[in-house]
Amino acid sequence: MPLVEVGDPEAFAALYDRHGRMAYSLAYRMMGEKQEAEDVVQEAFIKVWRSAGGYRVGRASVRTWILSIVRNRGIDQIRSRATRGSMQEKVEDSAPTSEPSDAFAETWRNTQQEQVREALKTLPQEQLKILELAYFSGYTHVEIAERLELPLGTVKGRMRLGLQKLRDYYQARGAAVPR
Amino acid sequence: MNGMDQERFEDLKDVYVLGALPEEERLEFERYLVAHPDLQGEIEELSTVAGLLALSVWEQEPPPGLRHKIMATVEAAHPDTSRRSWLAGLWDAVGVRDLALAAAAVLVVGLFSWGVLLQGEVRDLQGRVQSLQSQPQGPQTIALGGAGTEQGARAELVTLKGDRAVLVAENMPPAPEGKTYQIWVIKGDTPKPSGLFEPRGDSVAVVVENPVEGAEAVAVTIEPEGGSKKPTTDPMLVGKVKA
Repeated sequence: MPLVEVGDPEAFAALYDRHGRMAYSLAYRMMGEKQEAEDVVQEAFIKVWRSAGGYRVGRASVRTWILSIVRNRGIDQIRSRATRGSMQEKVEDSAPTSEPSDAFAETWRNTQQEQVREALKTLPQEQLKILELAYFSGYTHVEIAERLELPLGTVKGRMRLGLQKLRDYYQARGAAVPR
Repeated sequence: MNGMDQERFEDLKDVYVLGALPEEERLEFERYLVAHPDLQGEIEELSTVAGLLALSVWEQEPPPGLRHKIMATVEAAHPDTSRRSWLAGLWDAVGVRDLALAAAAVLVVGLFSWGVLLQGEVRDLQGRVQSLQSQPQGPQTIALGGAGTEQGARAELVTLKGDRAVLVAENMPPAPEGKTYQIWVIKGDTPKPSGLFEPRGDSVAVVVENPVEGAEAVAVTIEPEGGSKKPTTDPMLVGKVKA
């Protein structure tokens, strides 16, 4: 990261090689189609290049930082869509269906990812759905309440319980939440 | 909306970290956060939990042209990157090497401005810089963190001459029956099995069997006796070798 901060393109290329796949995967999950996912990743990495000085080591890992930029860019894109409704249906329908490659299972990162998926499986479906609508689809809590015809307090309560359950999953195993 | 106070902060913090507050409410929440920096840590921790969702997605291969597009944009914006990169590397070296190297590096920079007549000397000094850069440094230590430290274990990776390393661990709890500790050197997200050990007494020192140069991290897991080809448990200890 220090070399990216001073504008070293080779260091930036290495950063992309290391995190580009995960960034694209998140963007694809959010946007539901390749071209938009590509646009989101491109814009996000340009922002990474321009604002690398804003990264603070103690706050989050580089991966978390980059993924948060990808996610924010994706949310901006989703919210600016005129055809949001139809697209969101597509996004929700496209929820993880593909299977990981063999190589995937061999990576250390995957160990973390598998664990996160296991943690998410411990959530009741109604909590998971609300977390996903907020995180991947960019709905506000008000919009989620309207969409699911739930009281706003119920939506907030499920968000709180869902996150608490995720944290508890790691605490129960004496493990730190991956950063 | 109502004015922000502690009660409302508590009510909305989960919504905030999920990015699900409407714009106006989000701005108000963030103003409150700025006015109460003591709450920042709690929000960062909660954001980490929310960020787990990003790790749950199945991986997709980015289009092959995407990297080229991004790099073309970056390089177009910075046409002098090769020169800047060289200088950045030089100053980086000055920052971390000894005084002799710093002096040599400064001389290199100075001599560049003398022109053709001094090019030979410049080349000589560049050689000296490279030579000094390639000299082995003293041992460096990297502390390992993770769940194991919560059980009182303490471990450091000591990098030695070249790219070799030794893992020094203290107060490691005995591995469960039929299990052993296994070291992993992680390069490019692939963990390579790099040695087994059993703690004997208070401390143990184990040679890491794979080079650590260029690795992202070194980790320790508990594995079945004889070790595993791939990690089968969460890491007890992890240390980042490079940022």
